[in-house]
Amino acid sequence: MYIKKVAVVGAGTMGADICYTIAMAGIPVVLRDVSREQLDHARQHIQELFQGRVARNKMSVGDVEDRMSFITFSGDLHDLESVTLAIEAVTEKLAVKKAVFRELDLVLPPLSMIVSNTSALSISHLATVTSRPTRVAGMHFFYPAHMMKLVEVIAGHQTSTETVEAVVRLSEEIRKIPVKVKECPGFVVNRILMASMAEVLRFKEEHRLDAASIDQVVTQNKIAPMGPFMLADALGLDVALEVANTLHKALGDRFRPSSELEQLVAEGHLGMKTGQGFYSYR
Amino acid sequence: MAQEWESELLTRFQLATFLEAVRLYDEGVASAEDIDIAMRAGAGLPMGPFAWADKTGLDVVLGQLQELARAGNPNFAPPGSLADKVARGQVGNKSKRGYLSH
Repeated sequence: MYIKKVAVVGAGTMGADICYTIAMAGIPVVLRDVSREQLDHARQHIQELFQGRVARNKMSVGDVEDRMSFITFSGDLHDLESVTLAIEAVTEKLAVKKAVFRELDLVLPPLSMIVSNTSALSISHLATVTSRPTRVAGMHFFYPAHMMKLVEVIAGHQTSTETVEAVVRLSEEIRKIPVKVKECPGFVVNRILMASMAEVLRFKEEHRLDAASIDQVVTQNKIAPMGPFMLADALGLDVALEVANTLHKALGDRFRPSSELEQLVAEGHLGMKTGQGFYSYR
Repeated sequence: MAQEWESELLTRFQLATFLEAVRLYDEGVASAEDIDIAMRAGAGLPMGPFAWADKTGLDVVLGQLQELARAGNPNFAPPGSLADKVARGQVGNKSKRGYLSH
């Protein structure tokens, strides 16, 4: 299906980065949020991203104006009425996402698609609140979405082949690398990352080593771009723990969160955002 | 000369990464090629887990897993598809076939 116009729902950092990526490719995009303040914030963030490209001589000021003209910052549901595909990028809470899905289902034309940027929730389950489960899929971007090339395209139980192909094509059109994935907890990347993270945490406890020594060995040997503890701090230890708990419940002991991770979160040390995690950022 | 814990860390990190990739492959969640692409484009790994295993040699990887499992770490029990491939002589780059074709 030809995608004429896209909507991104939720103007947080992820939503704004996705919106920027779509506008860069010259596809009309509505960035929707219920908060005016959030929309203003997103507009500023997107302008900064464009200005960064101008500063690096990758774009002219005229090009920026042109690309910005593809974006409609909107709190008005009517602006979604001509959208072919909506990307839901609101907070990772099931009740909130379901409410957004219900609303989109009422507003979007019947043949339009609804995709979620969820990294953990069930696509099949989200699809049940709509009248169009065959036109619902997952489109999982990675942070920061304007830089990371991968998009995991997730088919739920009822997702049609046409929908999957449309999302794959859109991903390519916005210069991403789509990979088709069947629905499962954590999908591919987060599941593998969390499995290796859990193993390294066990190793750390067994050998009583500090995070920095371990991260250094991993990066010096170039087996990953960032040490697992630095990565966890950047992601947020509360997020890491929640994902670990979900995977532990669904897939077993190899994902069991270490007591150290639980303790850090209990103490409110959530990583970079609080100034303390496995490392101190104060 | 690397310390002993350093090589143990690298082995366990890479084997844990590879094992989870194999589980996803065995469950049919994604193809081996796609899992490698995802880990490079989404996690920035310099080499996908299957490319790593095929290059290392699946027979070597199987041996490392058996050793860790024998040492009392059940998480490292070798997956069925790995033992099958080694038994068929598909041990990776050196035999032109492993999880990927070479």
